[in-house]
Amino acid sequence: MKTIIRFLFLVFIISGCSKDPDLTEDILGGGAIFDPSIYNPEEFLISHTIPNPTPEQAMTPVIIASHGYTATTFEWNEFRQYADEHGGVFVSQVLLGGHGGNYEDFRNSSWRDWQLTIILEYDRLVQAGYQNIHLLGSSTSGALFLELLSGAHFNGKPAPGQVLLIDPIVIPSNKSLSMIHIFGPMLGYLEVEQSEAEDKVYFRFRPEETLRELQNLINIVRKDLEKGFVLPQETSLKVYKSIKDPTADPVSAVLIKNGLKTFSGNSIEVEMINSDFHVYTRLELRPHTAADKQNQIETFNDILERVLNN
Amino acid sequence: MDIGFRFQKTINLYHENGITLQYADERVLSKRLFIGFSYVSSRLGTAMGSNAIKQDNFLISGTWMFRPQRSLQPFLRLNTGYFIADYEDPVFDVLPNSSILISPETGVSYRFTFPLKVSISLGYNVITGDGIDGPGTLYPLYVQTSITWNIFAKNDTNENDH
Repeated sequence: MKTIIRFLFLVFIISGCSKDPDLTEDILGGGAIFDPSIYNPEEFLISHTIPNPTPEQAMTPVIIASHGYTATTFEWNEFRQYADEHGGVFVSQVLLGGHGGNYEDFRNSSWRDWQLTIILEYDRLVQAGYQNIHLLGSSTSGALFLELLSGAHFNGKPAPGQVLLIDPIVIPSNKSLSMIHIFGPMLGYLEVEQSEAEDKVYFRFRPEETLRELQNLINIVRKDLEKGFVLPQETSLKVYKSIKDPTADPVSAVLIKNGLKTFSGNSIEVEMINSDFHVYTRLELRPHTAADKQNQIETFNDILERVLNN
Repeated sequence: MDIGFRFQKTINLYHENGITLQYADERVLSKRLFIGFSYVSSRLGTAMGSNAIKQDNFLISGTWMFRPQRSLQPFLRLNTGYFIADYEDPVFDVLPNSSILISPETGVSYRFTFPLKVSISLGYNVITGDGIDGPGTLYPLYVQTSITWNIFAKNDTNENDH
């Protein structure tokens, strides 16, 4: 009986803990720091930068680069810079819905909200006349792209040429996420250990509501992959996956390869990367080695090559 | 000796089904302690006719039954064993695909007046994949149902009539 009383007391204490994190103005979500694309979309979104492309610009490849859960446009800054230096492509950095602003907005957002900004930018580019559009997504954006590709989203409209997924998540590394619907309401939020600099470009606090949304999304994608689906005729897809990833389990790549085929019935391409980073293409604000840098540059070159030769 | 089917569902992952065998000796602890073997696989569950990963679980277990003379018996079980997943493509040979299994389980078992027994329990895999070590599709929480038939029912009934 004593054990039961102790257990009930523990549950009472946990469920009685504050459900709101201690937000301060020096972190993203605290109300003072916002993703720069919110104020200056023309510096990040090609549909705003060049809303009326010339025929030559309309033929130039546009890469929609979309980040992961809790991240911001920052995640693709290094690629944007690299692509700008090497020329020949436009990079459109999308901020996922609900991200890059207030904690409350993030908490109230669904995975469909996250996905909506990708769809909006894609559709704006198509409407503006761009004819060579590609998708580049890290982590959760990989799942968001796969969800779009498994449905009828690209029926009756031009499909993307290349879909390139960096460390896409279908299976989380932290398996506690699978129990979020059970323990989430008691949890309130999760705090992630990251540097002060990263606090300004990644949410430090993850509301349990959004973790549930993430779990819902990856469950849908996993089941779609179990059933299997094919890419649109004009689309190629490649997965780049760290072999040791503390966030998106590398086995995610197995599920994608098993479940997805090209229009002609062939397997999709997978490259396993010898890295222990999640989203190994983002090195800024991370201590890294020469080998990490080499992984990043090789992948950037591969992305550009695939897009330019599409 | 109870022989039958085990149906297992991992929370937010696969159905894995298979067989189970549970044995208790009358001379040891009055049928409170069962020693068992189970094999469950996604091959007989979610991976049948789908692209889910084919994975196998081989379990040996010790089960402690409470109220062994009654129809409804709560129980505690400790499983250990081996997990292996088949990633099929050589490109994934760099990933871990096998692990030792350790999972405590608790549930209830109902014994009918004829030699059928139905058990339901909640289990927790202590060892799971974490993206660095261990297979990625080894998840923590599962529920299982077993339907078994006591193949020595005649002896059993005589000895246990009360």
